Amino acid sequence: MRTATILSEKMLGHKTVVVLPVHYPRELFTAMDVHTVELWGPPGPPRGPDAGRIQPYACAVVRNALAFLASGGADAADAVLFPHTCDSIQGLATLAPDFGGWGKPALRYLHPKGQDGPAARAFVRAELAHLADRLAELTGRPLAIPRLAAAIELHARIDRLRGAFLSRRAFLDMADPALYRLLRRGEFLGPGDHLAELAVAARGLGEVRVQRGVPLMVTGYVPEPMTLFDSLASAGSFVAADDYAAVGRRVPLSPPADGGDPLDMLAAKAFTMPPCPTRGGDQDVRMAYLETLYRRSGSAGLIVHVQKFCEPELFDVPAIRRRFARIGAPMLYLEGELENSLSGQVVTRLEAFVEMVGAGRKAP
Amino acid sequence: MITRRVRYEVVSRALGPMLVAMEGWRRRLRGRGGGRAKRPFGPPLESTRKLKELTTLHYLAGRFADGAVPVAWVTSGFPVEVLRPLGFHTVYPENHGAICSVKRMVPELSEAAEREGYSRDLCGYARADLGSVATGKTPVGRLPMPDLLCCCTNICQTVLYWYRALAAHFRVPLVVIDTPFVYGEARPHLLAYVADQLRELTVTAERVAGRKVDRAALAETMRLAREGTRLWDECLRAGCAHPSPWTGFDSFFHLAPIVAMRGTRECNAYYRMLRDELNDRVARGVSGIADERVRLLWDNLPIWFNLRDLSTVLAGNGFNIVCATYTNAWAEAGPMIDPADPEGSSARAYVHVLLNRDLPYKLSVMKRLCREYGATGAIFHSDRSCKPYSIGQIDLKGRLASEAGVKGLLLEADHADPRSWSEAQAYNRLHAFMELFA
Ligand code: SF4
Ligand code: SF4
Repeated sequence: MRTATILSEKMLGHKTVVVLPVHYPRELFTAMDVHTVELWGPPGPPRGPDAGRIQPYACAVVRNALAFLASGGADAADAVLFPHTCDSIQGLATLAPDFGGWGKPALRYLHPKGQDGPAARAFVRAELAHLADRLAELTGRPLAIPRLAAAIELHARIDRLRGAFLSRRAFLDMADPALYRLLRRGEFLGPGDHLAELAVAARGLGEVRVQRGVPLMVTGYVPEPMTLFDSLASAGSFVAADDYAAVGRRVPLSPPADGGDPLDMLAAKAFTMPPCPTRGGDQDVRMAYLETLYRRSGSAGLIVHVQKFCEPELFDVPAIRRRFARIGAPMLYLEGELENSLSGQVVTRLEAFVEMVGAGRKAP
Repeated sequence: MITRRVRYEVVSRALGPMLVAMEGWRRRLRGRGGGRAKRPFGPPLESTRKLKELTTLHYLAGRFADGAVPVAWVTSGFPVEVLRPLGFHTVYPENHGAICSVKRMVPELSEAAEREGYSRDLCGYARADLGSVATGKTPVGRLPMPDLLCCCTNICQTVLYWYRALAAHFRVPLVVIDTPFVYGEARPHLLAYVADQLRELTVTAERVAGRKVDRAALAETMRLAREGTRLWDECLRAGCAHPSPWTGFDSFFHLAPIVAMRGTRECNAYYRMLRDELNDRVARGVSGIADERVRLLWDNLPIWFNLRDLSTVLAGNGFNIVCATYTNAWAEAGPMIDPADPEGSSARAYVHVLLNRDLPYKLSVMKRLCREYGATGAIFHSDRSCKPYSIGQIDLKGRLASEAGVKGLLLEADHADPRSWSEAQAYNRLHAFMELFA
């Protein structure tokens, strides 16, 4: 599917950049007519022997990504973007381009890890300008600032709809498996196409609560395997609040400020996102955010779904445990390695969890 | 506050030095004649006694530091210089983690952290530290509570997650010096960003310390830090001699002052003494191991809990670790420090550290070290709880072999936690590797 999109964008004369997780300024790519396709692994067993160039105690995301790139899986693309997400992606960002695995241009996006402040904002802005220059080398066209303003507006509309689906989940007439497929199509569809699909789905967003299952909140990295949602749905629950790095944490908490220099606006966006450990920030602030999300969504339980060996996520797990134990929220911990499907044992744990949470809650 | 301050000063300046000196005499008396070589090693370094005194005194003073002087917990690569003129007592949790590992306390501390929900897959230093915080257990008596947490991402981003957790626990300010990874050379906006953060650090540190930084004292600290790294480099370079006057395993221990006391007179005095002793051993042909046949490079952190056994097996077969990317990392960037430009030059120096740079740079450092130190083999410690140092090692090993003719061994272990160490398997691989040099 992702390769097919690359090929159809190529027919339109667009360059394609494959993007590693998590955060990146998509607006800049849209403004420069560069199509982006995200690479979260991909899931399943590594597609080639190069995974063995990274030790098995690194996460499946980077091992699979190296195998995928080195086996030619992304050869239809013109460049790869490595955001400054974690130590492992940082390592991959030099391993694949410098020692083999990816021979085309490698772009990097170094987003700040410290506090918001003038130094961090100036740095993001400079990084954006640098990335724009690199994209100009790729496309042969410089960044046109009015086009960036239009791209910011376009992505703000996408963000608004995605945000509405997630924050008013109980009122959306769509099952989780379909919703997550729709949301994740944003990882590879052109923004116009994604917006069109979201707009159609938005017709199912009403004023009446339609989700009747056990509402759960999920926090974690990436919703893989997607069969998780089938299992949750058949156990009688739905995801009422989402804090996946790949999904909910990429919907800004506030719309872009009006007017001003578009590059400044884009730099400011980096500081309006929900807390994410890959961006650093105060742990207490993140815990307070998660608790608010949980309460506001009316969730009755929490699933923590992380990738094995993922340091950014794993370091926050004890704080999440403490916080949710204090408010009496039931919690289920799942650790994955980008498997193709959930094991029978995990499905049983999910069912038991939903049953336990459902038994202890009053119907809405 | 005043009594605590007096107690801290008395312990660190008078009572402490006296106690450690007495302990030193006692040890010397007990071990009379212990200066002789114990095969397969050469005679022990005299400076080691002084190192023990320095470390003991530092941790002893630390017991009385909180409430007396401002206390900062600091990552090993943090630009610590600005904290010195403000009178901070600095604690290095990574150094403490290494001590915990040598004392074989990490499994117990890590299990305490795991009970809190920390994964066993996380950095061993972090687990040891978080376990120590949770239980209060430590081999050094007591660690002073921090007033400020200082974390720099130039060694890894793991420290950021770790220190966020510490900040939430202790409810004290956390300063993050974010040093974005350098591909090739650092671009100007990256250096400006780090320099700006250093200025912001000064404001926070001054607020916590309750006084202003004396710029002349800061310049002097910078000068001392630069001199200290130069002295450390001179110590390391003594290892270029054939035979090397010490072993890489010695150098892992003697690294402590440049990590934890950088920018102080004590640190530099210590390295002058060590350098002179090493150079004297070179002049007299005294070797770190009894019969040095093969010279090796070590990559990644030491396996702290197994240093003695590993060094004995290697030395027993005539193998000496003569250089290490790890110890070299603290000698590398020092020359960039300029006392006349504390923020700008620190930004440059602290951004360009080994762990913050791309693999071609790491490979070039390895090749240079092998060339200068005459190493024909390399042990790559594949450290399951330090991903930033380990990712890329498999390729580095191959390239060092094909481009520089240096044979390599990938040794699976953990720098701190013996639970994932498979001794029989590791030694089998080590013996097979040594046979390649027969
Ligand atoms: S899963 Fe975690 S460790 Fe792996 S690439 Fe993503 S953020 Fe990094
Ligand atoms: S051992 Fe590795 S992961 Fe741990 S603090 Fe040091 S550099 Fe970071």
